[in-house]
Amino acid sequence: MAETTKMAEDTKTDFDPNIVAFLCNWCSYAGADLAGTSRIQYPPNVRVIRVMCSGRVNPLFVMNALQQGADGVLISGCHPGDCHYMQGNYFARRRFNLMRNFLEYVGIEPERVRMSWVSASEGAKWKEVIEEVVEGVKSVGPMDSFKRRQLNW
Amino acid sequence: MVDINKLREIAKEVISRDDVRQVIGYRPGTYGFRARPAFVLEPDDVDELIFTPACVNNLATYITLEEKLPVPRGQEPDSRKVAVMVKGCDSRALVQQMEEKAYDREHLLILGIPCRGVVDMDKVNARFPDVLEKGEIALEGDKFVISFNGTKEEVAKDELLADKCKRCRYPTPLVSDQLLDDEVERFAEDDYSDIETLEKRSQDEKWAYWEEKLSRCTRCYACRNVCPMCYCEDCVLNRIEPMWMRRSVDVSENTAYHIARAYHLAGRCIQCGECQRVCPMDIPIMELNRKFYKDVADLYDYEPGTDAEASPLLSTFSVDDREDFIL
Amino acid sequence: MAVKKLSKDKVGEALKELSKFRLVAPARSDDVVIFKEISDPAEAYLDYGNSTVPPKKMVFPQTETLFRFMVGDPELKEKNVEEEGTTVIFGIRPCDARAMSIVDKLFAWDYDDPYYQKRRALTTLVGMACTEPPSVNCFCTSVGGSPFSKEGLDILLTDMGDYYAVQALTEKGENLQKTLSSQLEDGGDEKKVEEMARAAEGKIKRSIKTDGIPEKIPTLWDSDVWKKVSASCLGCGTCTFLCPTCHCFDIQDEVEELGEGRRARMWDSCMFSEYTLHASGHNPRPSRKERTRNRISHKYSYYPNKFDDIACVGCGRCINLCPVNIDILDILEQVVEA
Repeated sequence: MAETTKMAEDTKTDFDPNIVAFLCNWCSYAGADLAGTSRIQYPPNVRVIRVMCSGRVNPLFVMNALQQGADGVLISGCHPGDCHYMQGNYFARRRFNLMRNFLEYVGIEPERVRMSWVSASEGAKWKEVIEEVVEGVKSVGPMDSFKRRQLNW
Repeated sequence: MVDINKLREIAKEVISRDDVRQVIGYRPGTYGFRARPAFVLEPDDVDELIFTPACVNNLATYITLEEKLPVPRGQEPDSRKVAVMVKGCDSRALVQQMEEKAYDREHLLILGIPCRGVVDMDKVNARFPDVLEKGEIALEGDKFVISFNGTKEEVAKDELLADKCKRCRYPTPLVSDQLLDDEVERFAEDDYSDIETLEKRSQDEKWAYWEEKLSRCTRCYACRNVCPMCYCEDCVLNRIEPMWMRRSVDVSENTAYHIARAYHLAGRCIQCGECQRVCPMDIPIMELNRKFYKDVADLYDYEPGTDAEASPLLSTFSVDDREDFIL
Repeated sequence: MAVKKLSKDKVGEALKELSKFRLVAPARSDDVVIFKEISDPAEAYLDYGNSTVPPKKMVFPQTETLFRFMVGDPELKEKNVEEEGTTVIFGIRPCDARAMSIVDKLFAWDYDDPYYQKRRALTTLVGMACTEPPSVNCFCTSVGGSPFSKEGLDILLTDMGDYYAVQALTEKGENLQKTLSSQLEDGGDEKKVEEMARAAEGKIKRSIKTDGIPEKIPTLWDSDVWKKVSASCLGCGTCTFLCPTCHCFDIQDEVEELGEGRRARMWDSCMFSEYTLHASGHNPRPSRKERTRNRISHKYSYYPNKFDDIACVGCGRCINLCPVNIDILDILEQVVEA
């Protein structure tokens, strides 16, 4: 009950972030699903896009999501060593480390671009990840900078 | 100092070979102090070749730029070698292209020119404005000697030297079939202090800075076309399906363009600085590429364009890669 | 129309008066001179040679909406150019203004382009004569222009030292001059302006004789001059985007998530490889050689044959900013010799 009240309070604040999450099919998506079937309450601000592996996620997806107005992007995959395709998450780790640092350099707050390892059994961790990501995005406000704004329209 | 007669002799020998199609070098520009690329096809044309501190172009880009057009039935494509003159920085482009297996090594005849630095033409034009008659720039010791309109002036090297040369770590070409001069010892180090200064700004300041710069971008694609590492036939920046950045020109699409291009150069940009030089709107594009360059060096201890046998950065990984940013 | 005077210490006031309209003037972004809409006269930067991007972008924007649409709504909302109001471009150089009158012909040729023509009709050009050539590579006098050319301009300003001579050249110019009646004085010296014009013409250092070039170029279709001059070309769009007479555009539809969208046109460059790329994959201009040949032919042969004007005003921007020093005068010299 206390959790529901806290959530209701959160959603009453002015800014309700839109967060896009790319979840790998085998671990993170299953973990998020487990959170759901276990009736674990977590903020509803995340739109999930299922990909087969975190290694499939092109860092330009992050750029594109932010450009279209997503306030935050999350990429979540299997723990290192557990990737269903052996190595995909290792490549993802490199790519997103670089992309995140670069976006920060250009003025995109690092709280907007997050990555996590969530395995298929970590429903509880999923909730914690979402809460932390949503809180982080709330603290930096709506996506502004290079968002598409129909300037010439 | 490169002996110009020796350079021309070697070029003449090379172009006279049966298995060489052209020699790409430098020749005087059409006005002022400029130099421009030369494409020598006949032995007699070698006399126009020069090498001076005005030779700023990265000729390695022409190796991948040249179109491979289909030939008429019955004809074979011209498979003769291309000879190219490269400075230290330019040679890294060739090394990186070879690392990515863009072509066979045998396709090239590399004439390496150990370099003591080139000028920044903007600095030269600011110091000697409105010079139309062809002038010359030479490096003697630690001074540039500028000759034009019958006069000669000496300027301290530091005043006109390109910024990239002040942090050049590879003045001698890393790959070559012949060196056209004595090797040059490394004379600078790169501490990335320019990037660190920008990193220390607040998020708002960072975006304000880039918004001003990227609003000027006219999407002329000069930066992409001059880059020796941008040689994809189906460039991500041109794609319509999916359209990563629209063709309309505004700060949002321009930012997406530059982010995407910089990312595609992560671990590949060899720091020749051409992108920034050619930008007609003076956008500090190198500041974008150098951020990736610095991170790649810090995080993964990798320098592109130094080892043709190495594996490209983003097609490798280590189980010990940093993951302190991962929840 | 009598020549008036605008004292330099009244320029701020005059710009303030003009900012009642949409006022466009040279300004600086870092060290780059650009023409942009200004609201504060202090933003104007008048100690300039010429802007990198020509002011053609105020009349022919780099990106402009043609119409907007909404899923489910059968009506298209055509862009109303008149909403932008009257525009005054202050400080345009004579070559750039002349370029506009050259391009005007194209936008009224096989199709009356309503967007371009409406904007053009609503725009008044207040030119700044070139008492010094903005660049060593200026060659306006070779292609029918001059540093004090009046073609295309509504008002011409000449820097006389501590004041500008102001000459209204058209009805639009006269009307605009009326709004500045408090800042302008009588007594401008027309003869002096003429003298300065002659002197300025003498300061143009580069030249080419264009007689016969429009006729010669088509005969060189198979000549190897094109391969030679285009060998170093990077295929970027710098020369075309910075050219005051270039006018090619692409049209694209942009759709947002909620089902609303727009059709927009944006500058395109004949030097891009995709410019003539067909949907089948065939490209009739597959390499830089064909595209360079096309560009030079268009500017110096096809356009003059159709419109009696060489589509080049000699501003020199392409020479100054080509990354590899491809020089149109150098190309034309080779064409003449070929």
